[in-house]
Amino acid sequence: MKRIFTISGLVLLCFLFTQPVFAQSATVKGKVTDAANNESLIGVSVLVKGTTNGTQTDVNGNFTLNAPSNAILVFSYIGYSNQEVPVNGQSTINVKLNASASELQQVVVIGYGTQKKIDNTGAVSVVKGSEVAKQASVNVVSALQGKVAGVEIINNGQPGASPTINIRGLGTVFGNTSPLFVVDGVWYNDISFLNPSDIESISILKDASSTAIYGIKAANGVVLITTKRGKSGKPTIDYNAYVGWQSVTNQVKMANGTEYATAINELYSQNGIVPAFSDNPAAYGNGTDWYGQILRNAFVTNHQISLNGGTDKYTYNYSFGYLDQNGTIKTNNYQRYTGHASGDWKAAKNLKFGYTFSLLSSGSDDIDGSIYHQLYTAAPIVPVYYNTGKYGDPADYSIGGGANYNPQATIDFFQQHSKTHDITGNVYGQYTIIKDLVFKTSLGGQLSQEEVRHYTPVYDATAGQQSNTSTLDLNHTENRNWIWENTLTYDKTIGKNHITGLLGEGAQSNENDFADATAKNVPFDKSGNLHTSFPAGTNVTYLKATGPGSPNFVNRENYWLGRVNYAYADRYLLNASLRYDGASEFYPAQTYGWFPSIGAGWVITNEDFMKDQHVFSTLKLRGSYGRVGNANVTQVPAVQLVTTDPGQYTAVFGNPQAPAPGASINTIAVATTWEQAQSTDFGIEGSILNDHLSFEAGYYDRLTLNAIFPSPILGSIGESGPNGGLLTNQATVQNKGFEFTVSWKQQVNKDFYFSVSPNLSINNNKVTKVISGDIPLYGGGNGITNGALATRTIVGQPIGEFYGYKVTGIYQTAQQVANGAASGIGPNQPGDFIYQDTNGDGVITSKDRVNLGNPNAKYYYGANTYFKYKDFDLELDFQGRADVSIYNANLAYRFGNENFTQDFYQNRWHGAGTSNTYPSVNLGSTYDSAPNSFYVTSGAYFRLRNAQLGYTLPQSITGKWGIRSLRVYANAQDAINIFGYKGFSPEVGGGPTGMGIDANVYPLYATYNFGVNVTF
Amino acid sequence: MNNKKYLQGATILGVVIALSFSQSCKKSFLDTASSNGSVKSTQFWKTQADATSAVNAMYADLHNWNDIAFAPIAIESMGSDDVTKGSVPTDATFMNEYHNFSVTSGEGQLDGFWSGMYANINFANQILDNVPKISMDASLKARYLAEAKFIRAYDYFRLVRAFGNIVLRVHVPTSASQYNLPQVPAAQVWTQIEADLTDAANVLPTTYAPADIGHVTKGAALALHAKVALYQKKWSDVVNYTNQVTSLGIYSLFPNYEKMFRTQNKNNSESIFEIQNMLIPNNPAASNSQYSQVQMPRVTEAAGGWGFNDPSPNLIAAFEAGDPRLKGTVIYTGQTTPEGDMIDASAPNPYYNMKSYVPFAEYVSGFNQGCQQDKIVLRYADVLLMNAEANNELGNAAPALADLELIRARARGGNNAILPQITTTDQAALRTAIQHERRVELGMEFERHFDVIRWGLGTQIFGPQGFVAGKSELWPIPQNEIDLSGGLLKQNPGYN
Repeated sequence: MKRIFTISGLVLLCFLFTQPVFAQSATVKGKVTDAANNESLIGVSVLVKGTTNGTQTDVNGNFTLNAPSNAILVFSYIGYSNQEVPVNGQSTINVKLNASASELQQVVVIGYGTQKKIDNTGAVSVVKGSEVAKQASVNVVSALQGKVAGVEIINNGQPGASPTINIRGLGTVFGNTSPLFVVDGVWYNDISFLNPSDIESISILKDASSTAIYGIKAANGVVLITTKRGKSGKPTIDYNAYVGWQSVTNQVKMANGTEYATAINELYSQNGIVPAFSDNPAAYGNGTDWYGQILRNAFVTNHQISLNGGTDKYTYNYSFGYLDQNGTIKTNNYQRYTGHASGDWKAAKNLKFGYTFSLLSSGSDDIDGSIYHQLYTAAPIVPVYYNTGKYGDPADYSIGGGANYNPQATIDFFQQHSKTHDITGNVYGQYTIIKDLVFKTSLGGQLSQEEVRHYTPVYDATAGQQSNTSTLDLNHTENRNWIWENTLTYDKTIGKNHITGLLGEGAQSNENDFADATAKNVPFDKSGNLHTSFPAGTNVTYLKATGPGSPNFVNRENYWLGRVNYAYADRYLLNASLRYDGASEFYPAQTYGWFPSIGAGWVITNEDFMKDQHVFSTLKLRGSYGRVGNANVTQVPAVQLVTTDPGQYTAVFGNPQAPAPGASINTIAVATTWEQAQSTDFGIEGSILNDHLSFEAGYYDRLTLNAIFPSPILGSIGESGPNGGLLTNQATVQNKGFEFTVSWKQQVNKDFYFSVSPNLSINNNKVTKVISGDIPLYGGGNGITNGALATRTIVGQPIGEFYGYKVTGIYQTAQQVANGAASGIGPNQPGDFIYQDTNGDGVITSKDRVNLGNPNAKYYYGANTYFKYKDFDLELDFQGRADVSIYNANLAYRFGNENFTQDFYQNRWHGAGTSNTYPSVNLGSTYDSAPNSFYVTSGAYFRLRNAQLGYTLPQSITGKWGIRSLRVYANAQDAINIFGYKGFSPEVGGGPTGMGIDANVYPLYATYNFGVNVTF
Repeated sequence: MNNKKYLQGATILGVVIALSFSQSCKKSFLDTASSNGSVKSTQFWKTQADATSAVNAMYADLHNWNDIAFAPIAIESMGSDDVTKGSVPTDATFMNEYHNFSVTSGEGQLDGFWSGMYANINFANQILDNVPKISMDASLKARYLAEAKFIRAYDYFRLVRAFGNIVLRVHVPTSASQYNLPQVPAAQVWTQIEADLTDAANVLPTTYAPADIGHVTKGAALALHAKVALYQKKWSDVVNYTNQVTSLGIYSLFPNYEKMFRTQNKNNSESIFEIQNMLIPNNPAASNSQYSQVQMPRVTEAAGGWGFNDPSPNLIAAFEAGDPRLKGTVIYTGQTTPEGDMIDASAPNPYYNMKSYVPFAEYVSGFNQGCQQDKIVLRYADVLLMNAEANNELGNAAPALADLELIRARARGGNNAILPQITTTDQAALRTAIQHERRVELGMEFERHFDVIRWGLGTQIFGPQGFVAGKSELWPIPQNEIDLSGGLLKQNPGYN
């Protein structure tokens, strides 16, 4: 007890005196610069050799340290070679650090440890936190787009949604397809709670030998995130802020009033009905521009302030962030407060403690998700308001059926507020048992709560938008996770042998709770919880569904792991790991799995025979093999559960009638075992031309064995299975590809520096085995394709390939229809597609369907450039993908009188000879809307992902203001997008067998910001 | 000193190992399936309450979308001269393909109807396979099993008359080898239906206590059995079962034809089997019947529906002059309903189905329009008409004429100036009269399509619409289902 007090007292003292005093020492000052370009190096560690006494350089590369006059100072910095300088009584020591032989000398974060990149035998990519923080992205994952070879990020455009991230192709087809995120040792499926500014570095583990140590959920790769930690030295205050706006770009133009009336008249004629607008369609003029009415340039502002510092005993980092972002839909707003705190405390020579906490509190004014589709379909002949002030009502124009909403009324009467509170983090203790042997225990967790409060008032806007009662609906989601891991690390260098051993075990639990409460005829109340928001005496219905598919679940895992890394003279490398995992998802039959990996490397340039060559500064060959599991199936498929969904199973009996709750079980549940990713990886890394050019090329072959997904099953079985089909180990999927990254960095002269880093990924996705043998798995129905299945997954082809009829032209005349192949898929007429009679039997039937395109991108690429001239800096990031198909499902998703895009209107068939590619306005018919090649188009695009121009004010000016550094910048994200797609955005995500089907109508937007970075 | 360090190390290692074992030994740590309120299916089928829950789920399924809304309209109503597609011309144009008999195997409502029926059958099979093992009140157990047999028979009846040779599944599949079953001849399905209905009628009670009204009864089993016999032209069986229904002594024609279908007269004296629906306060999800919503007049009022499945001018013309049943069958656009709702003249269709109509005042925002409307599947008038038809086919004109007169007398409502009594004893003329009576009495009740086909009048009556003899008697087996079966299922004649 007394001892603890002493230690605390000592810490307190250290806090008070940030410059601890040592006997017989003197102050040493100096500046650390890059030997190549004389640039100041920030954050260089300066340590008195053999002690823990040290500091770091500030933003100008300066350091101050008390050191004995006979001490030796060790300067170390990531990416540079260490340098040792004896003090020898000097008071000023300026040091020039040489960039280490290459980026390969960098220390990278790997699973449960760090390793020099040169010693790593897997495929690991590193992105610095500063690169992420620079961007206008609110979501960390989104900011990684185009940065790393082998990592494909698809922003589907839905406001607030986390992007899809695929590492080395799509391997998983059910459950979570995203990689595992590990933030400071705590595991997450989603990291939208993180403020990008709080990130120090990101390591992306791509191959199985790197990820195998995370066995359990790592089949789709692992993203390791280290948040900022304190650095000893004087406190540094950073303030970063920007203001800006989002504006819609590449807007799809819709038909105007006259065009709409003309098209609907044609639609009626095609269906043999008297046209609806027999008066002159021209009378409707331009009509209402609904997008213009509802969308806006959306203001965004973001502020982040952080405090960083510490002593040699205790270091800390605190930050606070505020984001206020309007949506491009007028009533949409999102506000986020984030906090981050981390600290590390050297309690004793061999004992260290630390913690990290991230806090998030956010609130939003939500929008009705259907507003996007309403805007897409709304009739331009309906005014926003009548002269009387009443809402324009589609019902007054007899155009119900697809276009029955006034979008303005929708946003005006949609009242929904969401709140999220999230606390997450970990504490750790680290004890050096004996020299080289370290025990670490880490306990982390997350508690998050989300509440959605939806209120429908009594209102009467239009025929289709009114309510004669009010309803308050509240739902509450709570997520409780914990993870506890213990590791022993042994690190020893004996002569030229460097060996690192790791043993560990851990356990974790993820628990999700969802409940819902509803009451009628109550006033709106913004505060209170599920039970106190309703006035006393209100008839409230509480619902909590259980069973498969319900949002209430608990998943638990426990595991043991071990790893050995061996390097001989930084020349021959051998890494091996083994993990034994148990997961509740596979209880009871197949609960446990073994996941091994092995990797080897050869650093050729460290061989004696390479000493005399001057081409390569570094050259390394590496290869690895590993097997990883995937427990990301969210529920327990092998255990059948009783389902009590009140929406499905409530019967009614009696006089008077009363609801009678029911329950059901599914019999379709098959013992399901681990989905496994087995990958082989080869790479070559190196640098040439005095390190100006570094390169990395990789080849991978990743097999997902026993891929789990629900396949559609026979309706005559009478049940769909708990997940919409027979959920079990269905297929083997192969992703094979190449990754190339090249980076040129050069200090051209004193004033000009630039770097250019393009990367390219080539991926081939193929199904190599399907449980159903020759019977293909059809998918991609999801309503929008009018129930017809638009994709097929079959052996030898990619997952979810588009499948349907091949269009060879448009029927121009009735005669041509009569002469053509008979339709076995619904009546057809002039203006309809001519389908290829593939089997030549004279009838168009489902047997005539062919492959129409691959929704898995073959190529995706990025190019990141940076130019610095004197005090100006410019960053340009490009990104895109190619050889990918998408399915424009919006075109034929029609119930009646929806509006058309202007492109469709202008190119439509409307009489013999008017078009041989676009059909008539009747394309919503069963015949025309059957999945076919007209709807499949290229999803290739190229974009200027990010452009940032910055100016750092000279220190001679800012110094007078007491500011160490001040930079201002302007940034544009997604400002230039080049693509041929006729829909909103060619970036289309979606579930595996429904991937690339564009059922979204989210406008693409660009973000423009002006910001400032200040360091005090 | 060194020893002490090693001791510390060993202690910590020991703790770590102990922790590992404590976690691994507790196997239940990974057994989370039943956490957060979920119950494992191995814990189900243990108690009487479980049996009750399962039976409730089976009934609940009767009012889901595929069992009561679009799919039945397409499969059981649209292919007739009595209806038009309705709604706006461009909405759900696939309905026309059923009306014109041009539908092809890929059309989505075929899948909906097929899988909807089999889903319901699965609920029944689950009960029939599992409830016998439950230790519970013996008479209730017997009743639940009988109810499940009735429901299974009802579903197979709907399937076999729509598709002919179908998959016959009378047990829950227990292994993957039982998933893909071949079709059996329609005759085998009819046999199974009759067996189930015989079993059900032997057990089911005639009436229920007020709280249990809506469960199927002996009368329902007999009436359905009569209809099953009718489709097989087993005339004496029809007479037998319909007479048994009558002799139960609890059914009578409801005095007011129009009011029989309104929500205040649910489960009235004429109703024999009725799908029970209700607007459950605060619970729109459970109040999920869209039977009325899809058929309610497509007017601008929020209480209006989608306007599908409308009476045709042809049906209207079939009514004898002054027949009050016309107003109980057809809503006229531009006129006011007996309940006082003005159907605005701007509605896109001239007529709507009166039998699924729910007065606008009963509408509550946030719920499906008309979600409180029951659907009467079997009623006593149908039983009388089946009795009349069978008797006439057997050459017994007198009882047939008596049945007809009961029906017509009720329709007359005391007005003897209309609907003269039928007196012909000529079998052919009486057959025509019965067919006419069946058409107008049961108009818009999803009978006409199958009646005309079983009368062998398809070409004569539906020919102008596109009916093809030898093909259109059955709908095509859904293509998705054939695809998923790997070609094991065979398409019906005349379809690709």
